[in-house]
Amino acid sequence: MNALASAAARPADAPEILLEIRNLEKHFGGVKAVSGVSMDLRAGIVTTLVGPNGAGKTTLFNLITGHLVRSGGSLRWLGRDIAGMKPYRIARLGIARTFQDLRLFNDMTVEENILTVMEPGALPFSFSGPSAAEKREKVAHVMERTGLIDKAHVRAVDLAYAERKFLSLARIMAADARLWLLDEPASGLDPNSYETFLRLLREEVAAGVTVCIIEHNLDIVVGISDRIAFLDRGRLLADGEPKSVLENPELTAIYFGDRA
Amino acid sequence: MLWLQLTFTGLQVGALYALTAAGFSLIFGATRVFHFAHGAAFVLAAYVFYWAETTGLGMAAGIVLAALAAMAFGVAMDRLVYAPIQRHEGSFFTVFVASFGIGIAVQNVLGMVFGRSFVTISTGLSRSVKLMDGVYVSPLAWIAVACAGLFFVALLLFLNRTHVGMALRALADSPELIRAYGLDPRRLSSIAFALGSLLVVPGAVITALGSGLNPTLGNHVMLISLAATIVGGIGSIGGALVAGFILGLAENLALVVFESQWTEAVTFAILFLVILLRPAGLFGRHATR
Amino acid sequence: MQAYLLNLGVLISIYSILAITLNFIMGYAGIFSLAHAVFFGVGAYTGALVAMSLSASLFVTVPIAMVVAGVLSLALALPALRVRGEYFVAASLGLQVLAVTVFSEWKSVTGGIGGLIGIPPVDLAGYQIYRPAAFFPLALAVLVLVLVATRLLVHSSFGRSLTAIRDSESAAESFGKNVPLIKTISVVISAALAATAGVLYAHYLAFINVESFTLDTSVLVMAMVIIGGTGTAAGPVVGAALLLLLPGLLSYMSFLPQTQIGAIQQIIYGLGMAVLMIFRPGGLVGRSKAKARPRPQDPDTQAQAPASKPAEATR
Repeated sequence: MNALASAAARPADAPEILLEIRNLEKHFGGVKAVSGVSMDLRAGIVTTLVGPNGAGKTTLFNLITGHLVRSGGSLRWLGRDIAGMKPYRIARLGIARTFQDLRLFNDMTVEENILTVMEPGALPFSFSGPSAAEKREKVAHVMERTGLIDKAHVRAVDLAYAERKFLSLARIMAADARLWLLDEPASGLDPNSYETFLRLLREEVAAGVTVCIIEHNLDIVVGISDRIAFLDRGRLLADGEPKSVLENPELTAIYFGDRA
Repeated sequence: MLWLQLTFTGLQVGALYALTAAGFSLIFGATRVFHFAHGAAFVLAAYVFYWAETTGLGMAAGIVLAALAAMAFGVAMDRLVYAPIQRHEGSFFTVFVASFGIGIAVQNVLGMVFGRSFVTISTGLSRSVKLMDGVYVSPLAWIAVACAGLFFVALLLFLNRTHVGMALRALADSPELIRAYGLDPRRLSSIAFALGSLLVVPGAVITALGSGLNPTLGNHVMLISLAATIVGGIGSIGGALVAGFILGLAENLALVVFESQWTEAVTFAILFLVILLRPAGLFGRHATR
Repeated sequence: MQAYLLNLGVLISIYSILAITLNFIMGYAGIFSLAHAVFFGVGAYTGALVAMSLSASLFVTVPIAMVVAGVLSLALALPALRVRGEYFVAASLGLQVLAVTVFSEWKSVTGGIGGLIGIPPVDLAGYQIYRPAAFFPLALAVLVLVLVATRLLVHSSFGRSLTAIRDSESAAESFGKNVPLIKTISVVISAALAATAGVLYAHYLAFINVESFTLDTSVLVMAMVIIGGTGTAAGPVVGAALLLLLPGLLSYMSFLPQTQIGAIQQIIYGLGMAVLMIFRPGGLVGRSKAKARPRPQDPDTQAQAPASKPAEATR
């Protein structure tokens, strides 16, 4: 199916498909970490991936961003095949992510952490793109919104836990991506920080960002998702309205049974 | 018959490379420590053997002492250098630099004690015996190949049949799992170092008896071990072994065309070709991270 | 005494350039090279040959030497940087060993073991600089230029990309950084700048041979960086000064056997490297261990992840 066909086939009111995943497979030795997953990520829709630990959620992210090479299936970004592309090229298409373990640039300051994601080029001095002043302004704006402005010159490694989480968010906010893949962005946040996080996320979604999020906290899941995808042992068991998925007794049994 | 002669010499050299490289690979595979001082263990063992021989302790005692010295050195490195570093950070490069530093120190201490020039032990074993016209093989060559075979079979049996051996193979991937089985990762790590260092002994002893020693030999041993580990595929002990043979053969067969000072260039060329064409190594699984 | 100090000053300047340029890749890109003396040597041989056959002007010798060293470094970086860090260590060790063979065997170009003799003094806008009193300011000036250039690079977007890659390669990739390309450029810059030290060295001694460009030199420069402080501005210079003062200091200690000074020096810095890694991995100038908090959360830095949550495979 090419991009034109899928565009023609879509109902008038359904948003554009950004990422089309078809029959995606990833095997580690004999273990099927992701098995036959098909789903679409549509513009402006917040999709949450839920499922027990080891369900293949992060593996799915790694496959999308090119950190892992798929064993089978296809990945299309705006109709273009991206499977097999290097992570940096996929990133430049407009897909950005956070990591469960954050992976901040620890020895760099907060400001530098944010600045560097706006400078993907390899040349020491760039002649195109935003000017230095524009970049500084955007960095300041992002730091302001994430509450990190007072920490601009603190090294990432010296930040408190919640601040590190917000820096991870600030980085992705500065990256100018259309699709965000967030890996447990709210885990371990105190109620206050958590409210701030939700507010920021809503603002970004309103501004046109498409979000796919891995989350265990069901309050967040219900609070922000348009759609829930339920994964277990690499398979996509359900994909739909939050209510219908969360009220499915079989799924809740899998979900809670595993973590009792 | 030059090439046949060189093949025999290549097999002898390759057998010793293979064992030494397998030792490095075993340590690296099990502990993820880039044990650059492995070359130092080699020269240390060789000089201990040389010392025992020249002071009249005899060959058997020399071999035992060399083995003890190599193993003690390996375990001491693990306990006194790597373990303290790994407690606070343990990044690949911190460990590598420490290992490298010790390697330099050992090389120079040996140079101060035994002198920096070549020394060798004269023995009837290194005298070549005519096999056929133009092909001479010393008893030492047969011993080398036999040793390699023996050690390799013993190593394979140990890694595949014993509890500790299997745990060693799993150690790098999942220390948690090892702990869950009631084994102590620290103790296993010491075992890996003891065994890996033991594997340098045949090479060290036979080199002392054959081509001779000098303290900088450790660098060459390290280059070979590294090259064999990468050519064979990181994490594959069998791969390192086969690659050791390949490198030994290639070095010697290259003498048909090149002069002897270019042998290391041949090793380097093979290493580069493998990195270029088959970065996972001949028997490896994953090259990138 | 003055001659001794000037000589020491020149050597410290030259080795500081080497240490700074090695630190550029070690400290900021996280690339460990055992082949830095190769680029030093290529710079020296190229500079000497150009000076002997074409022109001894620094404005001719230095650019040519930089280009030759830069191109050669590509041959190392292109294959070796596509794969994991261990490969680069191995490949650079191999290149170092190979280069020593080439330096001593390619007799028509390098003069073999005998080396190149009669290298003309530096020509700087018509003035010939051969007296140490004049050469020291020149060497110092080049050192300052190299230091400023590397500082500017480190604080540019390129430097940020390098540091980002060193801190977390996977995160850097996820934000669009072409990791192999950026690393390769850093190696080329480092090699090209190291070549300037080689040119100075060739002119200063008027004689070069393979002895100055062996693995021992690569190791010495690496020790300078590590002992001074990897990834710091002042560390490499401090390390270079310290390790070059060491032989002088040792020769004052009359109880030491004078023939063994070289070995004792290497033992000291070998053990020094190991002890620093155990107690103060940041080096003498770098942050002390107490201040550098461990980073348990990022597997990229290779610390063991806490066992609280079975991490999903990212490999």
